[in-house]
Parts: sequence; structure tokens; C-alpha cells
Amino acid sequence: MAADKKVPDFSDVRSGSSSTAPRSTPAPASRRTYTVVAGDSLSKIAKRTYGDANRWRAIYDLNKDIIKNPDLIHPGQVLTLPDA
Amino acid sequence: MRAPHISRFAFAGAVLLAAGCGKKDDAADVIPPPPAATVAFRVTSVDLGKSITADKMIANATDDFAPGDTVYVSVATEGTSPGAAIKARFTFQDGQVVEESTQTVTPTGPARTEFHIVKPSGWPEGKYKVEITVDGALAGSKDFEVKRG
Repeated sequence: MAADKKVPDFSDVRSGSSSTAPRSTPAPASRRTYTVVAGDSLSKIAKRTYGDANRWRAIYDLNKDIIKNPDLIHPGQVLTLPDA
Repeated sequence: MRAPHISRFAFAGAVLLAAGCGKKDDAADVIPPPPAATVAFRVTSVDLGKSITADKMIANATDDFAPGDTVYVSVATEGTSPGAAIKARFTFQDGQVVEESTQTVTPTGPARTEFHIVKPSGWPEGKYKVEITVDGALAGSKDFEVKRG
């Protein structure tokens, strides 16, 4: 009977690969940006973008070069947004 | 006696003009070297074995394996490609997929790409197959068998 036929389990198979040819490097993913408007805060942007205000820190971490104080962002600043 | 004088100038001018034209014709005869020929990327061989060398060639070719063996497949290619996705798809018996692995390479000439699979708990005995595709098109396949020694 087909139902009695034991199907082998290959879930523990490990694989690998390598080549003498150069590997293709994927193009870097383009990151989204957001331009700060009056009344914005990092948590508001995080809530609006990711649905989670707590992700403000991820935005801050990615933009530390232009944000000196996470409680103070300025209209016109262009923030790089982390991947969702 | 002015007329002969003018004709001498006219003759000299005609000679210069002819020489100039001749030089232009010579330049037109120079054929620029053809651009370096590019060979279309293709798989030239698929080899199976239990071990592999540093240059990705099969050290001891076989299509009979023991349950504890690592199965190596070496894919030889030639030609150039800005990005070729070489995929190895291992299947068992009637088509159950064992493993799939892809290497995307940018070869500039002959190259070898190896894939290997190992199963710590041991391969079930039976017949297996590995199919090699390049950018989704079948480029080669090999059958192999696992038997207890």
C-alpha cells in the first residue's frame, strides 16, 4: 500500500558550494529615506513607518551622523530608514 | 610665357593631391583588430565523486556512494557571464527533493563550481539524481546510487 511506503527524512542534509569563478555580489538594496517635517519625532516616524514606535532607536542608530539628540530632529533632515 | 608657368604649378598641385589621396586610401586599408571573442557561457561536464581537489575537480569519480559519504558534484563551465545562477538539485528515487543549492558566479573563462551534500544520519539506500541548471535551464544531470558496502 502506498500509505505504508516510508518517506525518507532529508531534513538533516547539509550542503555547500564553491567555485573557481568569482561570485556575483548582489547590488546593495536601496534604502528608503524620509524627510522630517514639523511635528515629527523619531517615535512618530517609527510608528508611521513600521507600526511600532519602539523602533525609533533603529532609525536613530542608522542616522547618528546627522542626529545629535534623538529627542531633537529638524524639519528638512533626510533620514535613512532601516529595512522593515 | 606665363601659361607654361601656371601649368607647372597646376601639375605640382595635381601630384600633391594624388599623393594625399593615395595616403588616405592606405589608411582605409588598415583593418582594426576585431574585439576579443566572447564565448557563450555553458556547462561542459558534470562529475560526481567522494572528494574534491582545491581547484574543484573530482578527485575520485564514482556514482556509487555509501550512506556516510559526502556527495560532491563538480560542474565544469566555459565562457563568460555577468552573472550565471548555477543550481544543483538533488532528488531521491521518484523525485523527492533532497537538497537544492545555487551559486551565482561571474566567470571570465573556464571555471569549476562544486556542490556537496552530506547527511549526518546517513543516506537512505536507493537511487538519486542531481540536475544542474543554469539560469533555470537544464544544463546536465547525473544519476548515482547509495548502497551499503
